Amino acid sequence: MRHVSVVIRTFVGIALMAAASSFAASAIPENSMGLSKTSVFATPTPKVYQENPEQPGSSKLLPRAYLGAPPQISHSISDFLPITPQSNMCIACHNQPSQWGQKLEKGMATPIPPSHYTDLRNAPGKVTENLVGARYNCNQCHVPQTNAPALVGNTFSGGRVR
Amino acid sequence: MTVSRRDFLKQSLVVSSATATGLLPVSEVANAAVKSAEAGWRWDRGVCRFCGVGCAIQIATENGRIVATKADVDSQVNRGLTCIKGYFNGKIIYGKDRLTQPLLRMKNGKFDKQGDFVPVSWDRAFDEMEKQFKRSYRELGPTGVGFFGSGQQTVQEGYAAVKLFKAGFRSNNIDPNARHCMASAVAAFMQVFGIDEPSGNYDDIEHTDTMVLWGANMAEMHPVLWMRITDRKMKEPNVRVVNLTTASNMSSNIADMEIVFKPSTDLAIMNYLAREIVTRDAVDWEFVNKHCAFAAGPTDIGYGMRGTDKFDYPAEKDTNAKELVMQLNAAEAVAQGKQAGATVEQKNRATPDKHWLISYADFKKGVAPYTLDFVAELAKGDPDESLDDFKAKLKLLADLYIEKSRKVVSFWTMGFNQHQRGTWVNEQAYMLHLLLGKQAMPGNGAFSLTGQPSACGTAREVGVFSHRLPADMVVNNPKHRDFSEKLWKLPAKTLNPKVGSHFTKLLRDLEDGSMKWAWIQVCNPFQDTANANHWIKAAREKDNFIVVSDGYPGISTKVADLVLPSAMIFEKWGAYGNAERRTQLWREQVPPPGQARSDVWQIIEFSKRFKLKEVWGEQKIPGLKDDGFADGKLPDVLSGSSYSPDATLYDTLFATAENKQFKWPDKIANGHANHTAALLGGDWFPEKALFEEYAQFGRGHAHDLADFDVYFRDDVRGLKWPVVDGKETHWRFNEAYDPYVKKGSGFDFYGSAFKSLPRGDLEGITDQAKVDISGKAKIFFRPYAAPAEEPDQHYDLWLSTGRVLEHWHSGTMTRRVRELHFAVPSALLYMHPDDAKARGLKQDDAAWIESRRGKIKAVVETRGRRNRPPKGLVYVPWFDEGVFINKVTLDATCPISKQTDFKKCAVRIYKA
Repeated sequence: MRHVSVVIRTFVGIALMAAASSFAASAIPENSMGLSKTSVFATPTPKVYQENPEQPGSSKLLPRAYLGAPPQISHSISDFLPITPQSNMCIACHNQPSQWGQKLEKGMATPIPPSHYTDLRNAPGKVTENLVGARYNCNQCHVPQTNAPALVGNTFSGGRVR
Repeated sequence: MTVSRRDFLKQSLVVSSATATGLLPVSEVANAAVKSAEAGWRWDRGVCRFCGVGCAIQIATENGRIVATKADVDSQVNRGLTCIKGYFNGKIIYGKDRLTQPLLRMKNGKFDKQGDFVPVSWDRAFDEMEKQFKRSYRELGPTGVGFFGSGQQTVQEGYAAVKLFKAGFRSNNIDPNARHCMASAVAAFMQVFGIDEPSGNYDDIEHTDTMVLWGANMAEMHPVLWMRITDRKMKEPNVRVVNLTTASNMSSNIADMEIVFKPSTDLAIMNYLAREIVTRDAVDWEFVNKHCAFAAGPTDIGYGMRGTDKFDYPAEKDTNAKELVMQLNAAEAVAQGKQAGATVEQKNRATPDKHWLISYADFKKGVAPYTLDFVAELAKGDPDESLDDFKAKLKLLADLYIEKSRKVVSFWTMGFNQHQRGTWVNEQAYMLHLLLGKQAMPGNGAFSLTGQPSACGTAREVGVFSHRLPADMVVNNPKHRDFSEKLWKLPAKTLNPKVGSHFTKLLRDLEDGSMKWAWIQVCNPFQDTANANHWIKAAREKDNFIVVSDGYPGISTKVADLVLPSAMIFEKWGAYGNAERRTQLWREQVPPPGQARSDVWQIIEFSKRFKLKEVWGEQKIPGLKDDGFADGKLPDVLSGSSYSPDATLYDTLFATAENKQFKWPDKIANGHANHTAALLGGDWFPEKALFEEYAQFGRGHAHDLADFDVYFRDDVRGLKWPVVDGKETHWRFNEAYDPYVKKGSGFDFYGSAFKSLPRGDLEGITDQAKVDISGKAKIFFRPYAAPAEEPDQHYDLWLSTGRVLEHWHSGTMTRRVRELHFAVPSALLYMHPDDAKARGLKQDDAAWIESRRGKIKAVVETRGRRNRPPKGLVYVPWFDEGVFINKVTLDATCPISKQTDFKKCAVRIYKA
């Protein structure tokens, strides 16, 4: 008996799913659309998302979005902000020109690349000893990642090194 | 003694900076890898989809898909840099829920406003759209329909929409979301200079030594300009950056001085600075006498609210009543030379823009009450700061402006523009620079930035506004209508002389039933307009038909009746114009997905469904009163014209003989496709034809654009108009740079609007005889005025709203990019920890934010990571439809510009 009811329930479930999917193909309720799957009149309670707790030196590098995209920050930066003219905690670890072209050892910071030592406005093509001022606000291009789930998928497939 | 990690890192910073030498060549291996990956890619130029900076980018495509983008090193704007958003220009078009087919609300196979969305063909979609349009148009006339445009429309999209609405439907109910963004800037440009858009350009950053930000958090909202400013500051020890703001923000981190002021008191600080210029005898009289005139206007102009309580929620009534009568508070009374507590009937609500010339003596009288003591007491925005410290900062600010050898650029954006006295405060910025003779020269000038990528290029220059025509012309000027009718080959009096509804009024029109059909392109008005509860209810519950063209479903899509899938940025040909008058064009890079199609195609295709006899006969326009027109009516212009009553708007406005001379295919395409051209028959090039037709409005009128093809030349990365004899104009109104300036004048503020004015004093006009001030700019006296709603015992905190670096506007594109979404997954309620504590709230608690108009929930953020509001003020970004803050905000506007003030209303906050 128990076995039968499972079969029946499964069958009904499949039938409902089929009905739902054929319904979905023909009619889309507004509340199923968009980034908030709810009525425009509703007042949802937003979730709390946690910052990445990984610490510098032990975090795993995140995949780049595509070849040439700025890497995301793979560790917590909560103790390192704000960036001011007097204090930039990012370059404390990442300003490592001596590591260019070297294999990154475990626990070492990714060195800021030569492009960031090139003043593209005033002296293009020349790699200098100093980080260019235009690149000083690291978090205008590099951002940390929280534990939020994606709201919707994305099929972008960036160029990769083959 | 313990050493914190922060201290440790600070020390290691010093060490590592000192040892950071020993340069190595870039790895050959890495170079080879890049080359191999790029092997089948096609690179072509584009423009960033997001803010008003207008960064140039390069786009790589492979097999019909974008695979990478990079900043363009050859662009003077951004020299190889973009911000974090800019790097995702390619990814924004690949969200899995792209709209790929038209969707119509249906029940039982028929349109039904209560139905769910059903996929339909384009033909079926246009059939319903046409039927519903004609129903409203027949019932209500041209004012019964409307179009919501955008500062993100391409030049061609905006132009096609304007032509269809103004010339075809004879409706001026077309207005852009840019109304929310820079209408106050426009109104001030027109009143001060008689012509729109900035005199300077971004190179001012490298030419100046002083940059003052007034309500512009450039670190987040104009990131690449902020990179340029930071670079300049790090290089030159003499450079000073000042950030004036109502809440401490990321720009404060780099600034030399931060001035936190109370909402709306920027008006008072400006007059303090003017008073200092006057009392320190720092007026540049040679410049002022030769190039300027003093002016003033009425102060009883209302607050841009409706002036009726018919649609008010009970709680709204007290704020909204101030639209008609306002009681002056003590500071306002001093600032305006009136009695405290006086009730002022707002008599000039219908004529807020009128103004007249005054004497310098009157100007001095106007700024006289704005002493350091008075202004500091009024304006100090952080209760934890001492009055003495605040005074010292104001004084230093005055020193920086006044110091003779110092060049100064003032930047502003939404803090000034979204302001109940937005036009005034914009005008005050020019007041300072004109008094000091520091305007329209390299490194010197008041510089109005824009928020959107083509707020200037499309909304303003094309004139996608309810009062405008292309090239700074307006519908209520008979000469401008005549010029446009001739260029468009329209019978005389086709164009409607009555200004249409501005953006917020279009929504009010939906609520009061005076408009029943609306088309929305490239914007999200139901999320981005203040006091949104009214508008979403009107959309869903009133008798109307709303069409939304979009790439993704958002709030506006969800309240629509018909959804049209649009091609996104690089799926079509287009042109944008940035905040330094730079026009940039791009080619179609990849095909749009599914049945998504360009907005230009949608507009042109829809025009095929109208015969001239349906639109060019007599039409009723409620309230129309104009010379040469019968009251309340547009005349029949068809009989007696050479046009056939059965000709379509498509034949008449778009597929004209002239336009069809621009042939497709065109060698400028260089192998790129054009789906718009293909769908329209494949033998003409609509985007080029529209661009060239539009350019005729501005050529010879100080708005000259180059030829379409020039913008695709290898050595061109956009050009700053006016482009005369192939040369762009770097600084306008300055004889050394601007070919329109009268020879020998030095400076010539040649804009022609509002240059013949009566004379008066601070109270009003005293002599109606008009004085001609051609070639001059106006120095306005504008007083401090309190906002219509301020915190009280029921709603005890200021609410300010705005944006974040990682997201663009309502988030419909950037929230579909995981890297950006993971960085900032939701909009937070930024508040002072003491304010949170006093309400029993702590970090990460959910809280209600409630105003007279609505309430929503958000998560509390008190750690000061991004924004650090002073006690008494909270800040909430608006990108997140799940934290729908515009249900809370107030829809008061600057009465002159009709731009909404999203920066100030009163709320209460409590635990959810």
